[in-house]
Amino acid sequence: MNRPIGPRPKRGPHLVLMACYALFILASGSRAIVQIATQFHVAPFAYVLSAVAAVTYVVGWFAIRRAAHGRPRLAEVMLWVELAGVVIIGTLSVVRKDWFPDASVWSYYGGGYGWVPAVLPIAALLWLHRTHDKQDTEERAA
Amino acid sequence: MHGTLAPIAWIVVGYGAIVAIAAGVGVVLRAPRPRWLDQMAWMLELICVVLGLGALGSLLQGHRPPSMETHIGYLAALVCIMPVAILSMREERESWSSGVVAVAAVATVVVAVRLMVTR
Repeated sequence: MNRPIGPRPKRGPHLVLMACYALFILASGSRAIVQIATQFHVAPFAYVLSAVAAVTYVVGWFAIRRAAHGRPRLAEVMLWVELAGVVIIGTLSVVRKDWFPDASVWSYYGGGYGWVPAVLPIAALLWLHRTHDKQDTEERAA
Repeated sequence: MHGTLAPIAWIVVGYGAIVAIAAGVGVVLRAPRPRWLDQMAWMLELICVVLGLGALGSLLQGHRPPSMETHIGYLAALVCIMPVAILSMREERESWSSGVVAVAAVATVVVAVRLMVTR
């Protein structure tokens, strides 16, 4: 059965999540562009990973927007992908320091950004979980 | 950024922190976003523009930061973040829109600090 998709009011915690994602698109995207354009030879692996993080945040932003309008599938996948990226890259940056002559956005679990990159997908997944529960309850009541 | 601009940058940091706290309290209290919060945010933007123009003037006078690209990126972010946040929430006054202002204020504070570090 198709879930009803309608223009929902533009309100809720997802506004804050989307603002955070927009900031990280700006931060990681501009960081990756500058580093790849000016000093790519210094740490190519780390800089490409920063670009991957920026792309992930772009998709994450759209995924949260879609989820807020009742289409959570993309967010269910992307937020776990993002969290896995933070955990894997964070762990690699700790155990294989020689792979990271310079930091990427997700190095040390996002320590260069106050660990917000690690907290962000978890907060978004919690929001998604709560929103889903609420929608399911409303649908059962209807 | 010239040393004489550091006090203005610190004003941005301090005032931005106040805006972030005020907006955060609004979210916690679940209160609709008050007009005075918008006015506080625009005031923060005004100080950011003053700081940005000062930093730009410093660059035009020949001052060269260690990484020009990074410095200019921070300058652009400093003056753009808050207007984008407020304008995207102009028709939305529920409490979570104050959270967007809080996020923008915190980001502005961080950028102002980074601007001082990379001057």
